[in-house]
Amino acid sequence: MFGKVRLGLSIALLLSIFGAAYAAEAPKEIKLGTLYASSGRFASISMPVHYGLKLWIEQKNAEGGVFIKAFNKKIPITLVAYDDQSNTATAATLFNQLITQDKVDLLVSDSGSVLTSVGVPIARDNKMFLFDQTGTGSAFFTPDNPYIALMSDPVSSVWPKPLADFITHDGKSLGIKRVAMLYSTNDFTGTQATAVRKFIKEAGTDVEFVYDQGIPTDTTNYAVLINNIRAANPDAVIHLGYAPNDIAFIHSLEDGGVNFKFLFCIYPGLETELLEKNLGVKPLNYIFTYVTSSEIEYEPNFGMKLKEYKELWNKKYAGGNVEFGFNSVAGYNTGLVIEKALSVAESLEQLEIRKAVFSLSGKLKTLDGTFELDANGAQLGMSTPIGQISVDDHGHIKFVTVWPHDVANGKPVYPRP
Amino acid sequence: MLTYTLLAGLLFGLYFTLIGLGLNLVFGVMRIVNLAHGDFLMLGAFLAFWLFSLFAINPIPTIPVAFIVFLLVGFPLYYLIVPRLLRAKDPEMLSFILFFGLSQVIQALATILWGTSERSIPGGQLGRAVAAILSFVTGRTVENGPVDIFGQSFPAAWVASGIASGIGVLLVYWYLYRTKLGYLTRAVMVSRDEAIASGIDVDRISAIAFGFGLGLAAVAGVFAPFLLGSITPAMGAEVTITSFAVIVIGSLGNPLGTLLGGLVYGISYMFMQSYYSSWANLLPYLLLIAVLLLRPSGLLGRQTRRA
Repeated sequence: MFGKVRLGLSIALLLSIFGAAYAAEAPKEIKLGTLYASSGRFASISMPVHYGLKLWIEQKNAEGGVFIKAFNKKIPITLVAYDDQSNTATAATLFNQLITQDKVDLLVSDSGSVLTSVGVPIARDNKMFLFDQTGTGSAFFTPDNPYIALMSDPVSSVWPKPLADFITHDGKSLGIKRVAMLYSTNDFTGTQATAVRKFIKEAGTDVEFVYDQGIPTDTTNYAVLINNIRAANPDAVIHLGYAPNDIAFIHSLEDGGVNFKFLFCIYPGLETELLEKNLGVKPLNYIFTYVTSSEIEYEPNFGMKLKEYKELWNKKYAGGNVEFGFNSVAGYNTGLVIEKALSVAESLEQLEIRKAVFSLSGKLKTLDGTFELDANGAQLGMSTPIGQISVDDHGHIKFVTVWPHDVANGKPVYPRP
Repeated sequence: MLTYTLLAGLLFGLYFTLIGLGLNLVFGVMRIVNLAHGDFLMLGAFLAFWLFSLFAINPIPTIPVAFIVFLLVGFPLYYLIVPRLLRAKDPEMLSFILFFGLSQVIQALATILWGTSERSIPGGQLGRAVAAILSFVTGRTVENGPVDIFGQSFPAAWVASGIASGIGVLLVYWYLYRTKLGYLTRAVMVSRDEAIASGIDVDRISAIAFGFGLGLAAVAGVFAPFLLGSITPAMGAEVTITSFAVIVIGSLGNPLGTLLGGLVYGISYMFMQSYYSSWANLLPYLLLIAVLLLRPSGLLGRQTRRA
């Protein structure tokens, strides 16, 4: 009897020793796999996101790594990053490579909906949780896919609500009834166009669409399109495209001497420096846009403030060819969400990581705003008010927030002088 | 709307004529496809961008500078690459691979030097120069801004590129049909072997044609920030594909075919943008397939390529 007890105790002791040893066997590194586009159509939105994420990794590694609750210690992060050259086919191959060959612990998408779109099914099929940095296409977030969450930007089906609300509420008093919309047909701006249409229709006002056209994302020439919009005599023009689309569109307006009474574009607010470099300040004056976290000082409860981050960015990438903007903030924000999630995740199992990320919803506030997910991983926080660009006497760009009224700091100028 | 679309198509088509001219000339003389053509255009575009950014030089005076610089770059590049290529068994096919490689190298170097972001030149710059020229020519003050053509208003840059393209076409014809060098060039275009047998310095003639092709690409590049919205180091491949479609539609090796191909492309593109905008970018490929199926030698093609 005594012998059996001693044997049992010995086994229990051995199990506890080896069990503890096994549980404490922390990896030497955490592999973070991601893609970026150093060339092609999406380079200007991809590189700032990538640089922002890299900045976070370098910062954490300088501190000895990121704290992992599952191992109760800091572990350095190894970045495995491939260049998809803005090509979705290449991106699909590289997503597979990150998962099956490199066996990364954390999978982070490239920037934007187009390059993220190919990663969503691959991540789901391989049961890898995808940290979707800025891919806001609403089709990515479905009840049957638990392996995704959007880090920055509201999902595109929600994002343009302030714009539609501004047009149907304040627009009425301004005299906006006839709206023209030109959008690029991709997951990002295509979804935004659908949402604008839906919100305006639901408002039940007498606002009507007098022009509503989709164009390929790689459109570079807008002269005929602008002439057709002008022929429709709209009170307001909404252009939904990526940064190169906005540059070409505004360039074409300026060159053609066309001035719409109200013009909304996405990227003057998201990548202000880039657009200013390309177009100068005058063509941007009075354009309506989203006012993002690269302009608004949010009060974070985790990570640094915008001002500190911008200083760090400028120090790190001074004289570089990548401009500071919303995407620079978004990349760093992804790092902050990862850091916070790893500090609460019980293990590095993918569904446990998901659980940890979702546990931050509504609680985490970074320099990018409040992190808030719906049940499918779509971002509902990180909202962007509607603002109008105002160029001061010194040629500096300022944003006058006009909607929602509770955050507005000025009145819209309409029609555009 | 119809008139505007048609005129815009003509101007846009003329721009793609300008792009295609150099590519077609190189193919006509050497029977090689310069897949780096769009990258030379990109380099011309960045030359204009930097001259404007650093020294505030208007793009109009940049045009002759770009042409001469790239004409001169073309000579050593020809002797470095092309004679070896032409000694191969299948130079036409090998040229695809070699110039694709060159395109990648140029793109990578440009990315390292200038980054990945879009760059552009404010449109008013070209408008100002056009207004000054028009004022000088007409003797009355012309305001900086869009130019009226048949009651339709177009960006000054479009008109300037249309004029440059017209000059480019005339220059190529003058060179081919009014100069001794052009006479020799046409001889090489008809038969390289017979030209060698006749004692023509084929390499010299080809080097000039190669430089001429690059020069025309660089001139087209000066207009790229205005016609294509912005420029990036990666823009070359797309431009090459479209211009290749343009010269195949017109007829490979025939400069007049390039003009026709450019106009067909430009006008069709603008009508597609007006009426089926979502499908507009498919157009060069649809036209290419249609022409290859119905008239494989191109709209102005003959059984024997003409010089």
